[in-house]
Amino acid sequence: MKDPWWIYAYWEVQPQVERQVRSQLSPEETIGLRSVLRVYDVTDRRFPDQPAHAWFDIALSGLAANWYIHADAPNRSFLVDIGLLTRSGRFLTLARSNRVTTPRFGPSEVLDEEWMVADDDYWKLFGITAGVGMGSSPTALRALLERGLASQALFSPGLFSPVKAPQGRGFWLRVDAELIVHGATDPKASVKIQEQPVALRPDGTFSVRMHLPDGTQTIPVEAVSADRQDARAITTTVTRQTDGQPAAARERSESRAGSRDRAKAARKSPL
Amino acid sequence: MAGDQGFVALVLHSHLPFIRHPEHEDFLEERWLFEALTETYLPLVERFQRLANDKVPFRITMSFTPTLLAMLSDWLLQARYVRHLEKLIELSEKEIWRTRWQPPFHRLALLYHHRFTTARQLFVDAYRRNLLTPFRELADGGVLEPIASCATHGFLPLMDYQRAAVRAQMRVGAQAFEQAFGRRPVGMWLPECGYHPEHDAFLKELGVRYFLTDAHGVLFASPRPKYGVYAPVYCRSGVAAFGRDLESSKSVWSAVEGYPGDFDYREFYRDAGFELDYDYVRPYVNPDGTRVNTGIKYHRITGKTDDKQPYDPDRALEKASQHAGNFMFNRERQVEFIRTVMDRPPLVVSPYDTELFGHWWFEGPDWLEFLIRKAHFDQRTFTLISPSDYLARYPKNQVTQPCMSSWGYQGYNEVWLNGSNDWTYRHLHKMVDRMVDTARAHPHATGLRQRALNQMARELLLAQSSDWAFILKTGTHTGYAYRRVRDHLARFSHLYDSLQRDALDEAWLAEVEAADNCFPFLDYRVYAPTNGG
Repeated sequence: MKDPWWIYAYWEVQPQVERQVRSQLSPEETIGLRSVLRVYDVTDRRFPDQPAHAWFDIALSGLAANWYIHADAPNRSFLVDIGLLTRSGRFLTLARSNRVTTPRFGPSEVLDEEWMVADDDYWKLFGITAGVGMGSSPTALRALLERGLASQALFSPGLFSPVKAPQGRGFWLRVDAELIVHGATDPKASVKIQEQPVALRPDGTFSVRMHLPDGTQTIPVEAVSADRQDARAITTTVTRQTDGQPAAARERSESRAGSRDRAKAARKSPL
Repeated sequence: MAGDQGFVALVLHSHLPFIRHPEHEDFLEERWLFEALTETYLPLVERFQRLANDKVPFRITMSFTPTLLAMLSDWLLQARYVRHLEKLIELSEKEIWRTRWQPPFHRLALLYHHRFTTARQLFVDAYRRNLLTPFRELADGGVLEPIASCATHGFLPLMDYQRAAVRAQMRVGAQAFEQAFGRRPVGMWLPECGYHPEHDAFLKELGVRYFLTDAHGVLFASPRPKYGVYAPVYCRSGVAAFGRDLESSKSVWSAVEGYPGDFDYREFYRDAGFELDYDYVRPYVNPDGTRVNTGIKYHRITGKTDDKQPYDPDRALEKASQHAGNFMFNRERQVEFIRTVMDRPPLVVSPYDTELFGHWWFEGPDWLEFLIRKAHFDQRTFTLISPSDYLARYPKNQVTQPCMSSWGYQGYNEVWLNGSNDWTYRHLHKMVDRMVDTARAHPHATGLRQRALNQMARELLLAQSSDWAFILKTGTHTGYAYRRVRDHLARFSHLYDSLQRDALDEAWLAEVEAADNCFPFLDYRVYAPTNGG
């Protein structure tokens, strides 16, 4: 069952079962024979001992092995046969489904004497529940709620959809620049770049990678020997200048293409 | 001080599907657990402990699915999570350097570095790699009401045709809970709030006293519920159903109107894993080279624009505090209003996915902490309560039959039954038939047969995870979901056939047992309920 209005059926008919059922047919009856689903409304009935309230047929096409059935009846019980229907209206069952009961959609008309509630009060509570405000009129609420209550998109996104499709449209370009400062010294020495200590690899090499903004950066690199007797310092200066049309300059302001930069980054290895 | 005009029950539902692939050195989908640990579970535990240490009285209810419990206590995943954290710490160290000339980003890089090292310190040193330890402590300390959920988060309304399957999902869920928390579950979270009439009878068998439904599950109950969703109702089995309040849900859940969409909050979809130079992030993304989320995100939502501004944690924290105040204010007004209609204090039940807090809504754990503090210090209208505490105070409730319902899109079963996933049910149903028949045919299996039967039950349960149907519906990672359904089905069928032919392959069985190793306590007789066992 999908919801109060739709039920779902799937089936698999063994060929020998179909052969056996077909053998009950006269040769004329096999002409124009159709596969159908027969949907019985068996609410509160012990079907087939008691007859169904009603039934309807759905003609199946081709190789269908499942069907969504628009029973369109909340709070009713259904049972489905798959079978063969002759032109004269004879129906032979191939297989029978389990029984399903669609859920009630809307408030129950059954009231409990011990827990009696005034209609107005019930609808007031209903209104608050759905977050449509407190104190709206019951009639206005009813129409709104029955439609909207169950369909609010208040469900879990799960952990599984981490990538959103990019929203930008059209052609675009994004440019950025980073700077790698690397070098080597005595493995036991300590090194600072712009006064920040850097970890040395076992062979005495080091490297750091930095985002390079526009402007001029002065980068002093200092190494001090383990016994603090020797020190060396090298300073590098780097300038980045970015020219380019900002995205907003284009007429379509929604074309958010990022900055169309043309970066001129002077890259220098200091050592 | 909190007040007694009404009650608010915050319920967090924690779930991840069982994803563990020892056959691969590194596995993309295992990251779901790692992300949830770093972004949600650890931050929540930290905040709950802080609240408890500060002696702020509060009650919060959390459900734990057996698949999540199994992963949290699995040594392989624990070790892999530590490795994952080490990599993140390494990346954040590089990021501290990389952002040196960009102060707003530099500050965030330091913040992430701090978060990751704190996570490692808590996970490794404080909790000895097992997050169940602090959750148990919080439960023993009385702030947390832990509740159970179904074995693999199977969606029960679509199993109704085979109640043995429903019963097994619930029983294994209760067993897993008992193993983890050393107590019987007082409540059970029905996966996706999927309730079908009469399933409550199985909860009754397990001694479970309550479950939750979506609003219409209780509102459309018959006879008509006097208090709507603002008091629980009893099913005829005597198990209580608590209906969700949608107003309070909306403010947190809704991506559009809800708090998480605020422009000052962190933007989820701008992640360093996707933005930085490929060679630079390559060691920190998926080993096959696919870019993935790292959890390092530098921007705030900003607005309906792609020109995102740097994230400002102070501003975001201030907003979280405001939103907590707003939530509290709205609950006060709500309780006051409902009080005019009801002759007893109303209960507002607000259930959420745990992973919403922190993972999707980065500031969510802060919001929650603010809310708990404010609810205690700043108002006198309502008190935070757990469903079982409410039942202890108000044991007399209306008896009525709740309706079939779920909290999925449109409120029923359509998320888990549509053109993208309906093909799974013929297989799942067949598996259940075979499982029940085989379990009945071997009431006293021992040795290899017993192991095979237990593994069949395990494969069936794993195939039943609602997650696969959900993923097939949403359209991302569908290949993985398809593979999981197919693998469990194939393993199950192979075991079934081997058992029929009396030709079990011990080595192969051992391999499957080692891969799908959840629920070591599982007894296949759960599918053959002959002697109440």
